[in-house]
Amino acid sequence: MKYERALIAAAIIVFILVLSYAVALGAMGAALPPPDLRELAKNYLKLTINPWMRNLTVMSPEAVTAIVWDFRGLDTFFETAVLYLAIIGTVAIYRGVYTSRKTVAEDEEKGGMSPIAKSVTKITLPMVLAVAIAIALHGHLTPGGGFQGGSTAAVILLLVLVVFSLHFSMHKGITKGSMLALRSTGLLGIAVTSVLVLILGLLVGCQAFIFQNQPKAYAPAGLPATLDGMLISGTLILFNIFECLAVAAGLTLTFILVLTHEEEIRSAMKGDKHE
Amino acid sequence: MSSDLPIIAYLTGIVVISLFVNMGISLYGVFAKPSLIKKLIALTILSDTANVFAILVGYRRWPPGSVVRPPVLTELPPTPEKIARFASTAVDPLPQALVLTAIVIGLAVIIFLAVVIMQIYRTYGTTDVRIISKLRGERR
Repeated sequence: MKYERALIAAAIIVFILVLSYAVALGAMGAALPPPDLRELAKNYLKLTINPWMRNLTVMSPEAVTAIVWDFRGLDTFFETAVLYLAIIGTVAIYRGVYTSRKTVAEDEEKGGMSPIAKSVTKITLPMVLAVAIAIALHGHLTPGGGFQGGSTAAVILLLVLVVFSLHFSMHKGITKGSMLALRSTGLLGIAVTSVLVLILGLLVGCQAFIFQNQPKAYAPAGLPATLDGMLISGTLILFNIFECLAVAAGLTLTFILVLTHEEEIRSAMKGDKHE
Repeated sequence: MSSDLPIIAYLTGIVVISLFVNMGISLYGVFAKPSLIKKLIALTILSDTANVFAILVGYRRWPPGSVVRPPVLTELPPTPEKIARFASTAVDPLPQALVLTAIVIGLAVIIFLAVVIMQIYRTYGTTDVRIISKLRGERR
C-alpha cells in the first residue's frame, strides 16, 4: 500500500513538471495570458451587438450569453440535456421512495428550526427572489442568465426546505411531483424556443434554421431584437426565463430527494409498501 | 513566457504552476484516497482548477497602461467606434461561455455522484473502496 501511494505521488509530480515545462516551452502560446485575442474572439465581440451587420449579429450586449444561447446554442442545448439526465438518474435511484404526508396539519409549525431562523428567512425570501428574477431577466444585458438566476432561486427553495422542515414544504406544494412538472415545463419551453423561428419561417414560407435568433442572409425570419424600445435580444430572453425555471425546479427536486428521511429510504430499500 | 515586465512573467508563472500543483494534489486525492467522499471532493477541486486555468488562458495580458474590460458592452446605444473600442479592450468571451457550460455539467455530475455515494453507504455501510471492492454482492 505504501509502495502504491509513493508510485502515485511520483507519477503526479512528473505530471506537474511535464505540464509546467510544456507551458514554459509555449504549449499555450508564447505568452500566457495572450497579449491579443484570437480572431474568433474578436469576431464574437464585434458581432454581439452590431446594428450595421444585421445578418450576423445577436443584438445582445452580453457576449457570453450571446455565445451560450446563439452562436453555440446547440452546445448549451446538449449541456442542458446532461444536467437533466443527471437529475433523472437521481430520481431513478430514489424510485419507490415517497416522502410521506402523514403528519397532521397542527404540528407542522413545530418542525424545522427556531422562530429566529424562520423570521429571518421570511424577511430574506422576497429579496433573494427579486435578485434571482433580476439575474435571469437581465441575462442578455448584464453578467448572469438563466442558469445563474435558477441557481439563486433554488437557494430560496433550499432555505424553505431546511428552515421550515421538509413536511411543511410538502404541505405547501414543494413536492417531487410539482417540481418535476415545473422542470418539464422549463425543458419544453427551451425545446419550443429552439425551433420557434423555424416554425415561424415555415408558416411565412421562407427558409429558417434551428436555434436561429435574428434574421440571417437567405433566412429573413427572426424574432424582434427590441420590444417597445426595450432590448430583449429575440430568443435569448425566452431561453433565460425557461432555463431559470428548469434549473430552479431541477435543483430543488434533488434537494428534496437528498433531504428525504433516512427511515423512509431504508424501508423502501427493504421492499416495504408505502402509500 | 516573454512579457514587458519580468515581474508580470514571474507572477503569472507562479499562478500557472500553482494551478498545476493544485491539479496534481486533487488527482492524488482521486487516485490514492480510499474514501469515496474524499475522491468526490478532490474531483470538484480538479474541475474548479481546470476552470480557473481556462479563464486564465482566455484573459487578455495587462501591460501597464492597458485597459482590460469584461465582455459586456455597457455603453448603449452602440456606435461603430464604441464597438471597435469594446473589441480591442474586452477579454475573450468564449472560454467564459465554455467554463459556464463546464460548471453546469460539473454540478450535474457532482449531484449524481453524491447521490450514488449516499446509496452505496446505505447499502454497504461504508464508503471505503478497499472494502467495497472485496464485497461480492452481500450486504454488511
